[in-house]
Amino acid sequence: MTEHPILAARLPGMNADALGHVTQTYGPADAPVSIALPKLDAAAIAAVAASVKTATRRTLKTYPVARIVDTLDAAIARLLDRAHPIRRQMDRLLPRLTGYDADMVGLGLTRYLMTFRKPELLRFLAEDFPNPAILDGFQPLPKGGYGRAYGADLTAHIWAGNVPGLPLWSLAAGLLAKSGAVGKVPTAEPLFAGLFVDALAEVDPALAECIAVVWWQGGEEAPERALLEAAELALAYGGNAALAAIRARTPITTRFLAYGHKVSFAMIGREALDAAKTAETARAAAYDVMRYDQQGCFAPHVIFVEAGGRSSPERFAGHLAQELQAFERTYPRRALSLGEAADVAAWRAAAETSPGGAVIGDPAGLWTVAFDDGTDGQFSPSSLNRAIRVVAVQRLEDVAARVAPYRRLLQTAGLACAPDRLFALSAELGLAGVRRVAALGDMTAPEAGWHHDGRFNILDLVEITEIDGRALPTADRLAAYVD
Amino acid sequence: MDFAGKTVLVTGASRGIGRAIATAFAGEGAGVVVNYLANTEAAAETVAACEAAGGDAFPVQADVTDLAAAARLVKEALDQFGRIDVLVNNAFGPYRFDPETRKRHWELDWNDYQRQIDGSVKAAHGLIQAVLPGMLARADGAIVMLATDLVARPSVPYHDYTTAKAALIGYARNLAAETGPLGVRVNTVAPGLVYPTDASRGTKQAMRDAIASQTPLRRVATPADIAGPVLFLASPWARFMTGQTLYVDGGLVMA
Repeated sequence: MTEHPILAARLPGMNADALGHVTQTYGPADAPVSIALPKLDAAAIAAVAASVKTATRRTLKTYPVARIVDTLDAAIARLLDRAHPIRRQMDRLLPRLTGYDADMVGLGLTRYLMTFRKPELLRFLAEDFPNPAILDGFQPLPKGGYGRAYGADLTAHIWAGNVPGLPLWSLAAGLLAKSGAVGKVPTAEPLFAGLFVDALAEVDPALAECIAVVWWQGGEEAPERALLEAAELALAYGGNAALAAIRARTPITTRFLAYGHKVSFAMIGREALDAAKTAETARAAAYDVMRYDQQGCFAPHVIFVEAGGRSSPERFAGHLAQELQAFERTYPRRALSLGEAADVAAWRAAAETSPGGAVIGDPAGLWTVAFDDGTDGQFSPSSLNRAIRVVAVQRLEDVAARVAPYRRLLQTAGLACAPDRLFALSAELGLAGVRRVAALGDMTAPEAGWHHDGRFNILDLVEITEIDGRALPTADRLAAYVD
Repeated sequence: MDFAGKTVLVTGASRGIGRAIATAFAGEGAGVVVNYLANTEAAAETVAACEAAGGDAFPVQADVTDLAAAARLVKEALDQFGRIDVLVNNAFGPYRFDPETRKRHWELDWNDYQRQIDGSVKAAHGLIQAVLPGMLARADGAIVMLATDLVARPSVPYHDYTTAKAALIGYARNLAAETGPLGVRVNTVAPGLVYPTDASRGTKQAMRDAIASQTPLRRVATPADIAGPVLFLASPWARFMTGQTLYVDGGLVMA
C-alpha cells in the first residue's frame, strides 16, 4: 500500500507547496513510509527565519511564562492520549521510520512525554530560576538593581540521531525562554518535531508559528550558514566532527552551544547481588541496555560489577544474558545495517580474544554479553545495539579512576548500591566527569529538568538585561512627586 | 515434527495465538484450515503466512458457538482436504483482558458465564462432534484445547473466562478417557498472559512487568511461544500422552 509522502517540514508564513521536495523512503519493504523533505536554499531559510522572528515578537514575547507552560501542557496532554490522531501518527510511523520495536517506541514516548507536563515544566523553570518571574519582568537582583531574562529572538536547533522525541528537550526549553525556533531535523528521524508543532498548533496556532521545522541534506553549507546568520543562539547535537564543522560556520555574534556524543556506564555493588536481588538487578540493567538499542547517550557501554556478593560478576553476566534474551522476545532489536552488524561482530570478536574475556550468547543472536574477569578491567566503548560488557571489579570505589580518562565524554552512571555509598561514589564520579548518577533501570529516562550534560536547560538560553543598581535612585531625582 | 500430508483445523485462527499455531503447523508441512469469525482480511493474512511458511491453507468463516455452523465448517474442511487429523480448539467468546475494567464478581450475571462457556465448551463440543467420527474411523487423531494458566493461578480473576476454561479442561480429561481406547488423544495447553494479541492489548505494561518479574523465564508469552507445545501434543512425539494440561507460561505455574 502506498501512502502520500508525509511532510516533515513546518514552514510558517511560507507556501510549502511552492518548494521542491526530496522524497525519502524509510522502513520495511512491506510497510514503507515516504517522507517529503523540503529543499530549502539559503534565501528560503532566511525568509523562514524572518517569519519566525516576526511571529515570536508578536506572540511568544508577549506571553507570560505561565501561559507558555499551560500551552505546552495542553499540547503534551494531546500527545499522551494514545487515541489522539497526532499520537496515533507517532505510534504508527516512528517505529517504521526508525526500525525500533513499536511497543518500545510507544512506551518510551509516553514515559518521555510525561516529563514535559505542567508540574515537570515548572520544575524545569524552578531548577534554573529562583524566581521564574524574571522571564516576564524586571526582578530584584541579589547584588542590587533589577534584572530580566530574555531569550534569543531566534534560536537555531540542529538535531541529530534517531531516538524519537529528542527535539522536544530543546524546543520546550526554547519556548520557556520565549525564543522562536528554527529546527533542522536529522534525516534519520525527521518526523517527531513537526508532529509536536502540530499538537501545539491545535492548542495555540499563533504560538506554533514561532517554530519552523526545516531540513537540508547533511553537508549542505549554504542553508546552514543562512540559519546560523539569522539566529542569535545555536544549539547543535551530534558527533564532534559534525559539531566542529557547524561551529566553524557559526558567526562570532551567534552564541553556540554544542551537545556532543556522550557515553554512560553502570556500576553494581555487591549488596545488589544477593540471592533475592540478583535477578531484579539484572533486569534493570538489561532494561537500560535494551532501550533504543543503546543509541541514546544515556545507555550503558560497560557494567562494572563488584566481586564479593552472593552472585559473582560472572553469575550476574549470566542473569543479564537471560534478561536480554527475554527482552529480545518482548522488544526485539531493530534490523541492523551491514555496517552496524559488522561493528557488533568486530566488538564480539575482540571481546572473545581478550585475555580474561568470554562471551555469552549465540553469534547469530541479537544481543551479546561479554564478560571480563578484571584482567583488562578498563572502560571501553560498546558497538551498541545490545552489546554490553560486564567487567568484574574488586571494589566499586576503583571505578572512578578507570573512567576518568574519558572525562570529556562521560555522562550518566547507573548505580545499584546502598545509600551510604551512593553519595561517596557520586562524589568521586563527579570529579571524574560524570554528570548524572541514576538508579539502574532509570538510566535512559532522565527526570524532568535534569542539568543536561551538567548545564542549565533554560538559563543557558537567556541573557539578562539589568537595570543598574544606581539607576533607580538617579531616576528618583527626576520624579514629579519628589519634594 | 513432520505434519506433511496431515490436515489441521485451527479455530479462531485469523489473529493472535490462533494465527501463530496455524502458521507453525503450515511450517511443518500441514494443510491448515483457518477458521475465523468475522475478520476476513486478517484470515487472508493468516492464509498468506501459512503459505509463506510452506504449507497449504484454506479459510473458512464460521461462528463455532453455533452447532450447525461448526458442522458446516468441518464439512467444508473435509471437502477441501478429505480428512482432519488434528483439531485445535483455540476460539473463545469475545473477551478483553483488561485488569482495570474487568467485571468484578458482584458485577457479573449468569449471561457473562454462559457466553464464555458457550465460547469455550460449547464451541469445542460442536466441533468435536463433527470431527470425531472421522478420527474414530481411522482410530487416529489428536485434539488440543487452549485453556489458560489462570485456572491454576488467577493472577487477575477473570471469573467468567477462567471458569469456562476450567470447564474445558474437565471436558478434555473426560473425552481423553473416553476416546483413548479408540486411538484419539486429547490434551490441553494452558498459556500464561500472551502479549500482544488483540484481546490482551488492554493489559498495561505495569501488569506485564509484574507478571514477568514473577516468572522464572522472565517475560510474558508471545503468540509464537504457544505454538510449540501445541504442535508437540498434536504430534507422534506425544503419542503416550492424553488428558494432560501443559502450562506454557515461563514457569509461573508449576503443576
